[in-house]
Amino acid sequence: MKQKKVGYDRYAKYGYIFSAPFVIAFLTFSLYPTIYTAVIGFTDLKGIGSTGFNFLTDDLLKNFKTILSNPSFIQSFKNTILLWVCNFIPQIILALLLAAWFTDRRSHVKGQGLFKVLLYMPNIITAATIAILFNALFGYPMGPVNDILMRLGITDAPINLMLNKNVARGVIIFIQTWMWYGSTMIVLISGILGINPEIFESADVDGAGRVQTFFLITLPNIKTILTFTLVTSLIGGLNMFDIPKLLQNGGPDNSTLTTSLFIYNQAFSGSYLYNRAAAASMIMFVIIAILAGITFRLMRDDDEKEAIKEKKRLRKLQKEGK
Amino acid sequence: MLKTKENTALKVVIYVVCIFLAILSILPFWIMIVNATRSTTEIQQQAVTLIPSSYMMNNLKILTGKSFDPITGFLNSLTVSIGATALAVYFSSLTAYAQVAYNWRFKKQFFSFIMAIMMIPAQVTMIGFYQMVYKVGLTNNLSMLILPAIASPSMVFFMRQYLQPTLPMSIVESARIDGAKEFMIFNRIVLPIMKPAIATQAIFSFVASWNNLFTPLILLTNSDKYTMPVMVSLLRGDIYKTEFGSIYLGLTLTVLPLIIVYLLLSKYIIAGVALGGVKG
Amino acid sequence: MKKKIVAASLCAAMMATTLTGCGGGNGGSAGGTSNPDVINLWAFTDEVPTMINKYVEEHPDFPYEVKATIIGTTDGAYQPALDQALAGGGKDAPDIYCVEAAFALKYTQGDASQYAMPYKDLGIDIDAKLDEAQIAQYTVDIGSNTDGDVVGLGFQATGGAFIYRRSIAKEVFGTDDPEVIKEKIGPGTDKFFEAAEALKQKGYAIISGDGDLWHPIENSSDNGWVVDGKLNIDPKREEFIDMSMKLKENGYHNDTQDWTDAWFADMKGVGDKQVFGFFGPAWLINYTLAPNCGGSTVGEGTYGDWAVCESPIGFFWGGTWLLAGKNADEEKQKAIADILEWVTLDTSEEGLQYRWANGTLYGEGGTKDVVASATVMEKSDGAVEFLGGQNMFDVFIAANENANGKNLTPFDESINTYWRNQVREYTAGNKTREQAIADFKTQVADNLDVIVE
Repeated sequence: MKQKKVGYDRYAKYGYIFSAPFVIAFLTFSLYPTIYTAVIGFTDLKGIGSTGFNFLTDDLLKNFKTILSNPSFIQSFKNTILLWVCNFIPQIILALLLAAWFTDRRSHVKGQGLFKVLLYMPNIITAATIAILFNALFGYPMGPVNDILMRLGITDAPINLMLNKNVARGVIIFIQTWMWYGSTMIVLISGILGINPEIFESADVDGAGRVQTFFLITLPNIKTILTFTLVTSLIGGLNMFDIPKLLQNGGPDNSTLTTSLFIYNQAFSGSYLYNRAAAASMIMFVIIAILAGITFRLMRDDDEKEAIKEKKRLRKLQKEGK
Repeated sequence: MLKTKENTALKVVIYVVCIFLAILSILPFWIMIVNATRSTTEIQQQAVTLIPSSYMMNNLKILTGKSFDPITGFLNSLTVSIGATALAVYFSSLTAYAQVAYNWRFKKQFFSFIMAIMMIPAQVTMIGFYQMVYKVGLTNNLSMLILPAIASPSMVFFMRQYLQPTLPMSIVESARIDGAKEFMIFNRIVLPIMKPAIATQAIFSFVASWNNLFTPLILLTNSDKYTMPVMVSLLRGDIYKTEFGSIYLGLTLTVLPLIIVYLLLSKYIIAGVALGGVKG
Repeated sequence: MKKKIVAASLCAAMMATTLTGCGGGNGGSAGGTSNPDVINLWAFTDEVPTMINKYVEEHPDFPYEVKATIIGTTDGAYQPALDQALAGGGKDAPDIYCVEAAFALKYTQGDASQYAMPYKDLGIDIDAKLDEAQIAQYTVDIGSNTDGDVVGLGFQATGGAFIYRRSIAKEVFGTDDPEVIKEKIGPGTDKFFEAAEALKQKGYAIISGDGDLWHPIENSSDNGWVVDGKLNIDPKREEFIDMSMKLKENGYHNDTQDWTDAWFADMKGVGDKQVFGFFGPAWLINYTLAPNCGGSTVGEGTYGDWAVCESPIGFFWGGTWLLAGKNADEEKQKAIADILEWVTLDTSEEGLQYRWANGTLYGEGGTKDVVASATVMEKSDGAVEFLGGQNMFDVFIAANENANGKNLTPFDESINTYWRNQVREYTAGNKTREQAIADFKTQVADNLDVIVE
């Protein structure tokens, strides 16, 4: 690796010094609370005003068993996966397409600065605004969407669209995609811009077409950034909360209940089942860790290969540069 | 010639798609701002329209009458968002730099560790967060919304991925030869190189921090410390009469500073884009 | 970001418990007594803080500063924060706190009842005062702890009536006299459905959506949702699923959902069918019907075309109760007692309730509202232009007496939501009646600490 070349041992201490603030903040604000939660999952802590907790001595895993056999939890897990997959795929495709267009040096899209700025905008608006607006749009029996459907003759009587599970899920998928494709696009663009322009130039010289360039050069070179996007989206998606919560509170009939919302309900809607909520959190933690771990393992191999290629490229460049 | 035709066709497609998406982006903002000028009754009878009405001052009166203090909220939100964003980008860059520039014994393990904790859903880590904050008596202290940003594993990951192929170690070395201290090199040389990455991450972080409702809602019980989203959420708290007009106005006031900050930073992104184009 | 939100909400969930562990120590270090100069007031709207400010304003020698903390009930934010403050104790502990009907029971009889101080321990001669003011019994029932001591009372009473359109009443029933209409639509649900049929013949809907009927049905049941820790589906509540179907199949309503645009449109009379009436307390008239009727003087929209009559089934809907914390010293307790008495029990013309009922608290011509004390309402003028000049207090005094405060549980908010969602699934034709009830039971079992058999 390139830093071996320059990494003298007398500088090694800066590696520790520069990493220290991160470690301290992590230990204080993340690790301690995590451990605390894990502990709660094994106790009988529930109900408001209860002062202490006892470990479940007769069956230490009782909360975990309850959660895993809970039909609502299983439903919510399926929903979460479905919602995430269905919003991630269009989101990444749209983001990739736009990123490719905006970084394409040949077609040189005019006003692309403005477009970039505008397309990210949906991410700025607060979830509460979106929820209020969409509920109003799909109002029943009177609402703009029903008006349009009836005017176009698609339906005679107003339909309670939000009671349809597929519509409800579709709306959430749409909102999630719409809110996040701009942000994904920006990440991907900065990934593409990190690619050495000489690679593109040589591709030009070789007469590679746009599509070829994209699949053979752009995509492989932003693999790490793509993985990063995948992992952060996975973590964010499996914790999806605000839109399902604010839009229909997991309804209709639990069709948009996500695991985070389930956990929230365990802890809040009446019974204050902290122990069950903590157990469900830890289960989600394990699932996310496994999924993200798999993704990283796949990526790291590529990363290593990339690093070697990159090293060669850089060496070549440096020679030429001097 | 064929090539030109193809180019034109592609350009048309690009512009049509982009303009469509741009409209889709602006529309909700427009409806929100329009609704901020309409009375609650008007909104309840017709939720979506593009034509403004004349109730803005009235809505503002309801807003301020309900212990909504935009100045205080704005200052608190600004403190939290700027503080959290600055800490997050600075320390994430620093941690990433430690990964890329130095050769130390536990470097690889530390990176694996960062990747591992990136997978910890924040919901898990936050469960006990409140307990700790309460124990040290800092519930109404804005720093508790700022300091955790120092450890942002996914940002460190992003910064490292960005820095690794782009940092020219030769510059670092020649700076060392010129006698620059390590810390100075990071501040003077490395940070400017990272501008595009920093600007992007800063926007993400700032938006997330500004719109964050639930953490402040739980940590802050003193109305002098409320952030904008908390204030707006209090407007909705009245279950018998929901003043939609003033809620929309509140939401608009909340998002306006964000738009301004975003536009300022986005200029930086566009500039940074050009920077990224020539480096290498 | 999404994850942060969840995280934080979970942290809210945790705090009540986590705090209790450390709260003791913290309270100790803070001295264990409350701040000598400040009365901490917790509320979920600005309504009570505003009226208490008025009290302080009118009593310049009142020695305490009232510090209000207002947290919305939205997204369940209020309760965890309040619980935390109550459990934490010390100088920031609430001295007066407001609770809403949906969760009042938790604070008066349930898990959090240990923090509430009985009114009589504050030095209020509660029995005599209740008698004198003739406070609506259901509010006393809800405000009493398990020992039978009153710990919370309200200023408002929310007994429900039927609020109907005069013009439609005249056309269908030949008169708009509340005494006659009351006999047409009730008592009981059979007569209600007879009236619905009569209205349908003339092209009217009797109510806007099934949610309108739910409040009376819910409140008329003999038992609450939970009895001895087990889910109990009262036959009357179970019958609601069939009534809802009947309403929908026969087109007796516009199939709206409460608090949606279509529901508001029916108040203005611009919905699918003209709607005869709404079930509701006085606040529904003041804060919901009046602003949505499409006008502000007689003749505009449906303004002035309304009247109230007794509901076919007695019920109440919503309301605020004021409770006192236990952290104050004796001197401050006296001050707290003065405020609580002024708000909840004072029947004089200087008291809050008289001015609230007549709409004069913040100057002449304010909104007139139904209050808890029948004594006050009897000597007040409840004539409202919106109701064609009818004195609404005549009807609401009886409505408050008919309301039942004994079938509530601390789980009502959640269980009602599950139930009404499943009923909606059934009436929309998405599932069978059996399936809907089975799914309802599953949801209760999955989400609450309630045994389902």
